[in-house]
Formats: sequence, C-alpha cells, structure tokens
Amino acid sequence: MRDGINLARRGVPAVALVTEEFLPQSVFVARAAGMPDIPRIILPHPVAGTGREAMRKVAESYVPAMLSALGRPS
Amino acid sequence: MTATETPRPAAGSDDGWLRAANEHEAVELLHELGCTDGLPVIVPTPERVARMVLASGLDGDLMLAELGPALGAATVEKIAVAAVMAGCLPDHMPLVVAAVQAVADPAFDLTEMQATTHCTAPLVIVNGPLAPVLGVHAGFGALGPGFRANASIGRALRLAMINIGGGRAGSADMSLLGHPGKFTYCLAEAEDASPWEPFHVARGFEASQTVVTVIGAEAPHSVIAIADRDVDPGGDRILNALAACVASVSTNNAVLGGGMAVVILNPDHAATLAQAGLSRADVQTALHARAANRRSVLTGQAPAMARRGDPDDLVHCFASPDDICVLVAGGGGLYSMVMPSWCAGPHRNRAVSVAVDTDQACVIPGLSGG
Repeated sequence: MRDGINLARRGVPAVALVTEEFLPQSVFVARAAGMPDIPRIILPHPVAGTGREAMRKVAESYVPAMLSALGRPS
Repeated sequence: MTATETPRPAAGSDDGWLRAANEHEAVELLHELGCTDGLPVIVPTPERVARMVLASGLDGDLMLAELGPALGAATVEKIAVAAVMAGCLPDHMPLVVAAVQAVADPAFDLTEMQATTHCTAPLVIVNGPLAPVLGVHAGFGALGPGFRANASIGRALRLAMINIGGGRAGSADMSLLGHPGKFTYCLAEAEDASPWEPFHVARGFEASQTVVTVIGAEAPHSVIAIADRDVDPGGDRILNALAACVASVSTNNAVLGGGMAVVILNPDHAATLAQAGLSRADVQTALHARAANRRSVLTGQAPAMARRGDPDDLVHCFASPDDICVLVAGGGGLYSMVMPSWCAGPHRNRAVSVAVDTDQACVIPGLSGG
C-alpha cells in the first residue's frame, strides 16, 4: 500500500495489489497515509508460495484490471 | 453481562467525551471500541488522567512523538490515558513517557513493526537508580506475572501503540499469531547481580541516569546450560548454547541476516563468564562469532530469502557484536534467555535507549498509590 501511495505522490500512476486477508489493513494504511482512495486490486490469499503456475494464473486474470486502474483501456 | 444485553452509549459524542453510567459499563464500552488489549482496564476518567499528567510534570497537550502506522499524536495526555488504563502509578509515568519516545524513534521502525506479520513486540529494559525505587523487578520471574511496575509499564506502552499508533490486531497489526509479550514485556536489569557495568552504561549513558531501552523482540526462548566451573571453566558451553539459540536457522536474524537480538543472562551464567575473564564486550564478540551458519544450510532451508554467495561461507547472523544486547536478569540457575528479532524494517529494527527525564517529574504527596 505504502509503495503505491508513495508512487502516486510522485505523480506515477499506481495501483496497489492487496490480498483479501490484508484488505482491512490496506483500508487503515490508506486512510492513515492520507490517500484513502488509492486504487487497489484485491487478489486472492495467499499468492506467495502457491507455485509458479498458480501465480501465473492470478497474474493473467488480474492484468486487465490493473491496466484499467492505471488508466489504460484493457 | 454481555455486550448484546445492555444498550451502549454512542461511540463518542458531539463534545468528544465517552460517557457511561458506571465503571463497569465504561470498561465494556472501551472493550467494544477496541481500545483495550482484551483485559479489563482502569477507566481513564478526566481526574485520573489529570493526575497522571500532573505527575509527569509536563503539559498535557505537549506532543512528544508521532506513532505509526496511524501517525497518531502522542501528547502527554494521551500517553497518560494509556498509563491510567494499564494500571500504572503516577510515579511510573516518566518511564512510560520515555518508552513511548523510544519506540517513536525512526530507528525503531515502529510503523512497519506494528504492521508486520511477524510476532515482534517491544521489550522494555529499565536501567538506573529509579528502577528499584519504582519496583521494576529484575530478579526471579521478572518477565512473568506478579510485578505491578513491569506489568503496567509494558502494558501502557502497548495500549499507546494500539490507541495512539493504531496497531489493532487484524486491521493494522497483521501479526500472524503475536506472542504473549504483546500484552506487556518489561523488566529491569539486575545491576546488583551483574559482574559488569550496567547495560545502559555500556550503551553510553551515565550510571546515575535512569534509562529505558526498547527493542522489538520475539518471545523469549529458554537456553539451558550448567554453569559449572569444573566442567566448563571458560563458559564455552554457555556461549555455545546461547549462540545456537540466537543463530537458529528458524530465526529472521539467521535467514535475513542483520538486526539485533537480546541475550538475558541469569546471574550464575554471567558470573561464570565473568570469572573466565570475559567482559560484556567479550561475551558479545564471542556470541557474534558463534552465531553463524554455513551458507549452504541457509540456502537449503530458505532458498528464496538466504543471501547469495559461496556455499561454504560462514554467514554471521549479526553485522556487529554490538547488535547483540547482553544484560543480566532473573534468578540464578540453569536458564538464560534469548530473544531474536524481526530485523526486517528499514532500519533493521534497532534498539533505542532514552534517558528518563526526572527533572520534570514530580512526586506529589498522596498521589502515589493511585
């Protein structure tokens, strides 16, 4: 979350990736850091450690949403 | 009485005060609002908070620090609220203030530490003349129950981290399991039972100062070693046992490398090491040298995190002997304790020491005792 917020503050289009277990923390951090509406995409939990194949599938299925959130047509 | 049986006052009100019909209702309200650690608290009424502020000798609205991740303003009054809730005596307030200032030091990495999935909690170490005066216990069972100052000062810091810093479990604090030291984790060094200069003196303070040192630490891990001068005159077995625990390949210090750790020697272990001619710095140097793993072991165990290099290299857990905080506490016997650390913050989770400002604090007749 903080990486996304710091990038956005520098004018770089940013979207934060958050797994669903960390959604409440992301809401808290975004509010505390003064950017409650930072775009974010909620990924399933866990992603890390699930293996290359599973991670590739997650990446493929969320890339359109990421591009869209970054302001490009998907 | 359960929370669902009794209507609760609205959380907050137009004038910013919480109101409740009685003490019991007030405690339930604070539980409901997520302002407690799960145990009952002393209700921070305006009178009790004002008394705590008065004992600090500071203005209530003086902002001493900013606590992350909420970036809440730690004013003297808000710290006093935490101290009241935790059950502190007004005399404890200067130590609580110092502990809050210490965790707010950027080197402590509080914001990241409160958010991590690791179990880390601030261990509060008190040194100097005020520790025994205020009853901060250093002897048998110092990290266990039964000692009011240890219990309430450590708890006050935790409540400040929750209510000012926003470190609520499950929303900001994502510790996967936490550890019991997240309720309270506070002791004094047993300076009288130590063969060496006090811990705070080794960190550059005067013996006459009272100093609070905080370090983000795991739960303590017991280390058994027989302090037998016939069998182990050089203290090698004690050092090996401590080093094996602090260098366990299950710790962040071993796998990620760096950060700090705490080694609490019981007075018998400390005496054996001192009689072998070792100073505190010698012990730190010996532990640093022995707290190491073969790189092939680390890469075999944690390939994604282990640092790269020659598989036959000996990889030290710590960058410097100074990164191993060695102090003396507890009763004398077989067991010492080791606390590895999280060590993953931007400053690698440094220990921070703050001198207690006793010039400001005042003892007010009739106030001590709550």
